[in-house]
Amino acid sequence: MTKDGNSTRFDRRTLLKAGAAIGAAQLASPFVQVARAADVVKIGMDNPMTGTYAALGKNELMGAQLAIDSINAKGGILGRKVELLNEDSTSGDAGVAVQKARKLIDRDQVNFIIGNVNSALAQAIANVANEKSIFHVVPGGHTDSVTGKNCHWNTFRVCNTTQTEANAVASTLVKTAGKKWYYLTPDYSFGHTLQAGLEAAGAKLGVTKVGGALTPLGTTDFSSYLIKAQAANPDVIIFLHAGQDAVNALKQAVQFGLNKRFHLAGAQQELEVLEGLPPEARVGTWVFEWYWKQPKVAGVDTFISEIRKRNSGHVPTARHYFGHTAIWTCALAAEQAKSLDAVKMARAMQGFQLPPELAMMPDGAFYRAGQNQMIGNLYVGHAQSNGKDDPEDLFVVDQVVNGKEVSPTLEETMCKQDWPKA
Amino acid sequence: MTQLILFNVANGLIIGAFYALMAIGLSLIMSLSDVINFAHGGFLAVGAYLAFTLTPYVGFWGGLLLAPVLTAIIGLIVEKFLISRVYGRDPLYSLLLTFGLAFMFEDGTRWIWGAQSLPYEVPSWLMQPLSQQYFFLTGYRLFMIALVAIAVGGLFYVMSKTRLGLRIRAGTLDLETVSVLGVNVRVLRNLNFGIGIYLAGLAGVLAAGQLGLEPTIGASVIMPSFVAIIIGGLGSLTGTLLGGLLIGVASGLTGVFLPPASEAVIYVMMALVLLVRPQGLLGEEGRF
Repeated sequence: MTKDGNSTRFDRRTLLKAGAAIGAAQLASPFVQVARAADVVKIGMDNPMTGTYAALGKNELMGAQLAIDSINAKGGILGRKVELLNEDSTSGDAGVAVQKARKLIDRDQVNFIIGNVNSALAQAIANVANEKSIFHVVPGGHTDSVTGKNCHWNTFRVCNTTQTEANAVASTLVKTAGKKWYYLTPDYSFGHTLQAGLEAAGAKLGVTKVGGALTPLGTTDFSSYLIKAQAANPDVIIFLHAGQDAVNALKQAVQFGLNKRFHLAGAQQELEVLEGLPPEARVGTWVFEWYWKQPKVAGVDTFISEIRKRNSGHVPTARHYFGHTAIWTCALAAEQAKSLDAVKMARAMQGFQLPPELAMMPDGAFYRAGQNQMIGNLYVGHAQSNGKDDPEDLFVVDQVVNGKEVSPTLEETMCKQDWPKA
Repeated sequence: MTQLILFNVANGLIIGAFYALMAIGLSLIMSLSDVINFAHGGFLAVGAYLAFTLTPYVGFWGGLLLAPVLTAIIGLIVEKFLISRVYGRDPLYSLLLTFGLAFMFEDGTRWIWGAQSLPYEVPSWLMQPLSQQYFFLTGYRLFMIALVAIAVGGLFYVMSKTRLGLRIRAGTLDLETVSVLGVNVRVLRNLNFGIGIYLAGLAGVLAAGQLGLEPTIGASVIMPSFVAIIIGGLGSLTGTLLGGLLIGVASGLTGVFLPPASEAVIYVMMALVLLVRPQGLLGEEGRF
């Protein structure tokens, strides 16, 4: 390799570096966006686009975009056009999620912020939003503390708390499957609180815990845990995993024939997971937080047809619903308060009942005052291997539970909101 | 308890065999080309997705046969046009290149096939446990072991009995001399990369039968194979095989006593090997 060759390459590299620097300078320039900030209302979304929760995050984004389009079609928020700014929070790196939240708030100057699928990241974003007094909606991160002991006056949540999900399914499980439970639990906040929730709900019904194992997030091979679970000889093996972990765990449990010897069940289940499983592994008793097949409920048909248009013909999942509802929550709050001020908006949402065509649940949905937690219906039922009328009808709802009856009381949540002084 | 331990040892061997399959491919590439292929998991995912796409047309067996070959062809192209350009440079270049490729593969599969997990189906007769007592011995897992054995056996045969194998082994020891003796090193490295990627593609198809098929499938199973190589020793295929089996068993056994540590234990083993015998159990001294 000659010196000449080296120097040529060096020149080209210098050119590249210069090009990159120019590109970066343009990205960093805040002036363009400040000029536009007055005209549009900006909503920042800080949700996973890569990693384990990418599929869930993308579905929430799709639901959110649909909501943005409908809001703009109806004249926007307070007469101003709405714009969605999306950032990839990653699936598990709270540092990145926080950095993206700060970028959205400080540099892009968003009016509201949405996120996150991952409970831990949702809590991290909530803390940033609280520090900056920004109206924040958690679409789909379930751990209790977000609207419990670490709740904030400005953080609202669409999806249920893990305790509510556990309460909804516990009595059905005792009736249909038995009282000896073994827990397989993902080893992070979501799994821990979900298990604690089920243990608390089960204790009231005389359930005994015959064992349990914590599985690291992102476990691919569940065989050693399954060997342990069957050795404990329970009535029910409870799977508390989400996303890819849930697919892997269930797929392997069914390959081992465990579904023929034990009842497989869990609290939260999602259409994304059931669709990722081969038909024979679509088994078990679960809770869905929203289900598309609700023929008599207002708004559902339109929602299905709108999502089908954007989702290569696929039906909406609970994640589409979460994203959609999260954006509408911002819009409704601003309209209700007639202001974009976070405190006024948050005050306006205390006890706020969602319009039926947005709630899309038989008993409606509202944000509980003093906790900012949405309370609607939960759908307890069982998975089925193949849909009868539609290939995506993979869940049979056995019982629609009213969230009011299974939610912990406000005292039990331990939420104490610290409102700013007016 | 004894039964639980026995189950987990047997089960660990099954998982370990799978790690070994990936690790051997990685190790081949690392030894001859001095490239740590971070994109190995990406190729694994491509193999799995290709099998999923091909299965409706050519059936499970056709997919199993074709997908790894197609993956290997993609591997040959990637090596020819990208990887080969960083040979002989600072290792940082190949690290950055393959690291970037890994991201491109992950997002590329997400773009083509979607982020959502896809249901890859395996013939149902393979998906049964052989007996209720030994329920973790499913037809599929035994089939997997058999395939790994055939692939590894075939590779050892190629390495010891064929001219190509001899040249690869010689190249691993002293590439310059092999080149001077008239062997086209570019072609040799290209073919060697292709063999490594073929094994990644095969591992991908096998993984898709047990795991949910989604874009991070490669990333989620690739780390243990790096560990297998380090424990077994770089440059020794037998060592890599041994390393894979060892971490499979260790991780299974830890699962009995301390489940949350079952993933961490393989890294502890790696640290111990690095402290006590840095070249790995069967590795040659001085390579790392």
